[in-house]
Amino acid sequence: MAAHPKPLHVEPANYLQGGGVIGWLTTVDHKRIAVLYGVSALLFLGLGGLEAMAIRIQLWAPGEHFISARAYNELFTMHGTSMLFLAVMPLLLGTFANFMLPLQIGARDVAFPRINALSFWVSLMGAILLHLGWFFGGLPDAGWFGYANLTERMYSPGLPLDFWTLGLIVAGASTILATLNFLVTLITMRAPGMSYMRMPMFCWAIMITSILVLLAFPPLTVGLIFLLMDRFFGTHFYIVSAGATPILWQHLFWLFGHPEVYIIALPAFGVISEVVPTFSRKPLFGYPMMAYSICLIAFLSYGVWGHHMFATGMGPVADAAFAVTSMLIAIPTGIKIFSWIATVWGGSLRMTTSFYFALGMILEFTFGGLSGIMHASAPIDLQQTDSYFVVAHFHYVLFGGAVFAILAGIFYWWPKVTGKMLSERLGKLQFWLTIIGFNGTFFPMHFLGMWGMPRRIYTYGAGLGWTHLNQLETVCAMILGLAFLVMYINMVWSIANGEKAPPDPWDGRSLEWSVASPPPVYNFARIPEVRGRDAWWIVKYGRTGSRGLAAYMSGKPPQPSAADLAPPAEPIHMPAPSIFPLILSIGVLVASLGVIIGEWRIVILGAVTLVVAAIAMGFEYPTFGQESHDPMAAPSSGGTDVRKVGIWSFIGSECLFFASLIATYIIYKGRNIGGPGAEILEIPLTSFSTFALLMSSLAMVLALAAIQRNDRTWMRVWLGTTIGLGLVFLGVEAYEFTHFYHEGLSLQTDLFGQSFFTLVGFHGAHVSIGVLWLATLWFASFGEKFDGSRSLSVELAGLYWHFVDIVWVIIFTLVYLMQQVKGA
Amino acid sequence: MSEATQTAGAIATHDHADQPHHPGAGIYLIVALFLCVLTAMEITVFYVPALKTVIVPVLLVLAAAKFALIAMFFMHLKYDSWTLSGIFIFPLFIAAFMLASLMMLFAYLAHHLA
Ligand code: HEM
Ligand SMILES: [Cu+2]
Repeated sequence: MAAHPKPLHVEPANYLQGGGVIGWLTTVDHKRIAVLYGVSALLFLGLGGLEAMAIRIQLWAPGEHFISARAYNELFTMHGTSMLFLAVMPLLLGTFANFMLPLQIGARDVAFPRINALSFWVSLMGAILLHLGWFFGGLPDAGWFGYANLTERMYSPGLPLDFWTLGLIVAGASTILATLNFLVTLITMRAPGMSYMRMPMFCWAIMITSILVLLAFPPLTVGLIFLLMDRFFGTHFYIVSAGATPILWQHLFWLFGHPEVYIIALPAFGVISEVVPTFSRKPLFGYPMMAYSICLIAFLSYGVWGHHMFATGMGPVADAAFAVTSMLIAIPTGIKIFSWIATVWGGSLRMTTSFYFALGMILEFTFGGLSGIMHASAPIDLQQTDSYFVVAHFHYVLFGGAVFAILAGIFYWWPKVTGKMLSERLGKLQFWLTIIGFNGTFFPMHFLGMWGMPRRIYTYGAGLGWTHLNQLETVCAMILGLAFLVMYINMVWSIANGEKAPPDPWDGRSLEWSVASPPPVYNFARIPEVRGRDAWWIVKYGRTGSRGLAAYMSGKPPQPSAADLAPPAEPIHMPAPSIFPLILSIGVLVASLGVIIGEWRIVILGAVTLVVAAIAMGFEYPTFGQESHDPMAAPSSGGTDVRKVGIWSFIGSECLFFASLIATYIIYKGRNIGGPGAEILEIPLTSFSTFALLMSSLAMVLALAAIQRNDRTWMRVWLGTTIGLGLVFLGVEAYEFTHFYHEGLSLQTDLFGQSFFTLVGFHGAHVSIGVLWLATLWFASFGEKFDGSRSLSVELAGLYWHFVDIVWVIIFTLVYLMQQVKGA
Repeated sequence: MSEATQTAGAIATHDHADQPHHPGAGIYLIVALFLCVLTAMEITVFYVPALKTVIVPVLLVLAAAKFALIAMFFMHLKYDSWTLSGIFIFPLFIAAFMLASLMMLFAYLAHHLA
């Protein structure tokens, strides 16, 4: 562990200045991280767009030979994957949410600035992994949802799919980290007076989206881990001949995949809910209903994944249930659309580019929603699935909904982020090109789909009558490409010689407009006091609501006063920069690369880098996980420390991870053919280790109680006991595993073996991490300053430890004690 | 960020002061005792043939009781802010729902398409 970095005493006038390249590589400032996310996401948006152009050129005419069939598969796979994971999500969450959340709630940064940096760097490594196949024999080509068993070694040999699998695991992990941060920030760091029901609607959207991410990515991760094991360790998670079923992948994927749609849509709704009221000069209509409908959409979105799988034959009951829940989502979504329209209604509108795109979004998204209701009906879906109708539908949602909202957001927030205005004239040009290009490209796809054109075909016959519409689409796709070109030009032009942006160019409602453009490093010289919704409007106009605002009709909006913008009297302690997030993420990249090319020394090199950087990060500051040298720096909401909220959110996410593993175990136990089954499990031995683990939890709480009364000696004794009992548990497990192995049970023998070893093995890995964590604490407790004030460090480790114990309670019951009960 | 600290504290009025009240060693020991007894009951259920028919519900109830004891007392959910319980219970609910639906979906699959 290096010397503790000095806290940064903030001097530069705005966050973009100073620091040089090193400053950007080590930054923990949410605004800089947002910019990093933005730059990379805009690059991948361009790349994904170019891939789409190539797809459209290939489909220009029947029998076209622009690219090969294999290249076509690579292109639509990378187009879908990059657009979703590397462009749209990073723009909405990484850029917009990262930059705006703290500003909108009156905070100086997110809850865990270094984890925020880590999220970005890890996501970048994920993006690199996804594209590295380029140099190793080709890009992934199994479609963005990579259906098993096409993705198995026997059908997809070589490295491309390995890169896809690991790249998605890594990118997913980074998304979980990022949203965990947002959730904790929103729960704990709101300025005084900023109650939940006063938060800008964008914050609501991000809060609920974060919960969605935390609970939706684990099933995907588990599905990908199974795939990885199939490809590397010879398991049979998706291999029919072994009794398994590829349908399992579909369930795990869509358990993630449908919430993913709302992970993208909800932030987009949030952006629209900011832009529309601002340019209508009216408060958002039906604020509480807007907030509740976000919650309802998120909740329902867990119960609809099956609508992607009607064609697999889930049976009439399941089909009906999924159809009903899917259609129900239209209700809260409709509420949102009507609320936006009611907000615009009677407002004094300012027709800026941002507002254009927002209105465009309302229109196009509604359209996509309507075609969505059509294939929510199972029998209709059987006609439409896998046809261009579906391609039309999801582009109306993803492009018409999400990308339109992103464009609205870019034009809205660009002045705040860069301090420069974008050209409105180029913006309007871009808007009309987009409207024409977008509808021209995707509207005819509805017809092509109904006429039978399947998606994912690289060419088609001349006599099918599909040629003309395909040509129209290709021309319009080029127009759409042109629209984006105009945007990139506009951006470059704006940075080079755009008009300087005032702090509040749009007469904004929320607090980000009360600070300079670009904002200072510390965001707020003084933490604002919030007196109601539309906090900044209230500051400007008082509590007069829309009538007072209507009185203000023309001229330039009042700007924050010079006194408001003056630097603070005393220096503000901001979190110090850290290089470890970057190093850790490089470790992730190296380790993943090693796994893929099968070079174990490289894996170890990467893993060691990763672990060392993680430990260094944990102890960079005196208290574990603290974000600054300043003891007062850890913000807390009335006794609930940020780190505690953080670890609980993480535990919540882990619930879904283990639930996916347990579900797989139960399902595959029932399908086991040949090989030993659950009767091999021994109760006496495991009862003993269960007892050891339960008692370790007791020792853990006693250790906490000891440190809370400042008794270091007893804390060490109890902590040592916990570690010892944990090791006993692991020892028994190791014995058990080798014993089973000698009895002929392995990862490869049968479905029971693979799902047992995976579930129990992952639990064991969690115990091992817990032991490591506790051991570092034990050693740290010999340090000078480890007294009662550090009890939180012990408490956090304890929470994790107890959770692992709880999971074992479930595993012991479901796996061991219910061994004679049949699986599903 | 010291200013943020002080001011953020003003939001949550229903929470306790900085260090929430934690139970003492006595309570921990009682809880541990209960955990041992429950585990012993679980193991007994496994070995008693007469209980074969009800083994699933009985074991689930016993496991749930252990689960709740650890979460409420060892993890202090009983004493901490409600927000934390919410952050834990909602995912649990979703996880249980997911587990149950998957089991039913695959049971159907096994019977109709195998
Ligand atoms: C520049 C505008 C775009 C054009 C011209 C375009 C065009 C296309 C076409 C023609 C396909 C179908 C390929 C096939 O099935 O053979 C496709 C697939 C897809 N697109 Fe786009 N797209 C655009 C933007 C986007 C955006 C912004 C997103 C996401 C936010 C997106 C997400 C997807 C996805 C997920 C697929 C499915 C890939 C797969 O089948 O695995 N597209 N796109
Ligand atoms: Cu869906």
